[in-house]
This record gives sequence, structure tokens and C-alpha cells, in this order.
Amino acid sequence: MKIVFTPDWFLGADIFIELFSFAILSLFFILSIKNYKMSRNKNSFFLGVGFLLIAFAEIFTILTKLVLYYDTSFTQQVGQMIVTYNIVKSVDIFYYIGFFLHKFFTLMGLYIIYKIPSKKGTAEDFVLVVFFIILSSLFSNIFFYIFHITALLMIGLIISSYREVYRKNKSKNTNLLVISFGLLALSHIIFIMSNLNVLYVIGQSIQLVSYIILLVLIIRITKHGKKKKPQ
Amino acid sequence: MERKRSHNNIIADMLLIIQEKGGKIKPTHLMYKANLSHGQMKLYIEELLKNQLILKNSNSIEITKKGRDFNSKYIQMKEFEKTFGL
Repeated sequence: MKIVFTPDWFLGADIFIELFSFAILSLFFILSIKNYKMSRNKNSFFLGVGFLLIAFAEIFTILTKLVLYYDTSFTQQVGQMIVTYNIVKSVDIFYYIGFFLHKFFTLMGLYIIYKIPSKKGTAEDFVLVVFFIILSSLFSNIFFYIFHITALLMIGLIISSYREVYRKNKSKNTNLLVISFGLLALSHIIFIMSNLNVLYVIGQSIQLVSYIILLVLIIRITKHGKKKKPQ
Repeated sequence: MERKRSHNNIIADMLLIIQEKGGKIKPTHLMYKANLSHGQMKLYIEELLKNQLILKNSNSIEITKKGRDFNSKYIQMKEFEKTFGL
């Protein structure tokens, strides 16, 4: 069974995209926490936590892929030994744990971001959702598309929430946020069919564009405070 | 109905008014423009002075660099909250 769908010529480029995503998500986390310190708005804090969890998810996938792509000498060396089977098996477990954590933290982060704007849930609801997120992440190791379908569903709900926010505030920044999440949703639709290498690359590229838009959003928000100063 | 302004909102409003007036304003003008009573104005001015966000001269109030920075961060915070509907 395939663990990753990255074509050989794209190895490394996908890690670069994930590093870039990690940087943007970390910036959003910092911005949210700075905001929370000033406003004491708990939603701001939870938004930061949501972005931080997805940033963690990116780190797990980066670390796992780095070992998978570049640690070939180790696997070649043990390949000639009798103990090969057990060690390779333990390496497999490492990959599965790495990708499981990537999926789990991504879905948890998306769920927290989805919950923020208006809704409030009980602790029991939260436990139930965490259980289903764990199930989805575990089953994704067998059927990879389950993760993308779950992520797509959550991103769809996030888009719906922010479209409602946009309807009320008509802010260009909220519109950018909706576009960015829209592209992220599109990338997950493409990832569902990513057993075709070309589609995997297209999905990753769309994800990169989505994170570039989020970077533009960060710049617009931080510049907003400065442009109001008199000349 | 308009919501009651929060403490931070009033501080930010006062600083923004001073900044929009070129960084300097007469106390009475500030009181009217910020829509404050004399008692409230006195309390807020004391707080702004204590936090070094303004300087008080004989007949005017001046915003400090720290005050301008506070304003900038406050506007940024409001934009962030508006963007995410927080």
C-alpha cells in the first residue's frame, strides 16, 4: 500500500510547501495570541489554538516525509541484515504514527476554527467529535480519502460560517479568508483522487496558493493598524 | 441599540481623536468629541497619563509614541476581530 503519493520529481517541493504553510499558520497563531492579550476575547485565543494545531500537523508531516525521503542509507543498510523485517516494520509504524498525527491535528484544528464564530457546544459534544476525528484519522491509514473527505466537510462548514460573517461585515479581508478556505477545499477534492501523481502535485500547488492568500491577509491586517496614522 | 463602550474602546477613541487632531488637542475639545462627562474624562486622563500614553501641557493634551503604538495595535486588533467575526 502506498504511504505518500508524491511523484519522484516533486520530492522536496512538497516539503517546501508544507514548511511555508507551517510558517503562515504560526504567524496566524502569533497574531491571534497578540490579539487575545489585548482584547481578552477568548474566541481569539481558540482561533490561535486552531491554527497552532494545524501548524503542528504540518510539522508532523514534514518530519515524517524527511525521514521517508532522505533516510535511505539506513534502510539500505538494514536491508542486508536478517533483522531487516522487524526494523522496516518499526519504520512503517513511525510513518503511520507521523501521518496519523498529521491527520488528527489537522482535523482538530479545523474543527476548533469551525466552532469559533457563533456556536457553543457541550463538553459531551466535544468528546464525541474528538472520538470521530480519531476514528477518521485511523481509518485514513487504510482508506486515505476518508481524511480528505472529513477535512473537506469541516472546511465546507468553515466557509459557510465565514460567508455569513462576510454577509454582515462586507469586509474584503473576510472575503479573502473565504477564497483561501475555498481553495483549500478544492485542494482536498483533488487529493481524494491523488493516487494519480499529477493530481497530487496540482492539489499541493492549490494549497500553496491558498496559503499565499492567507499571507496576504496577514499583511493586510497588520498594515491596517499602521495606515491609520497621520502623515 | 448601541452597546455600551468598553473601557479599552474609550481609551482607544480618546487616543484616536488626539491623533486625528495632529497629535495635540484641548481638554474640553477631547471631552466633547469623546462624548465623556467631566468626571469620566478626569479618570481616563489620569489613566492615560499613568500609562504614559499622553502628555499634559498647560492647556493641551499630547499623544506620546507609546500612545500612537497603542492606537496602531488597537486598530489592528479590531480589523482582526472584524475579519474573523470574533
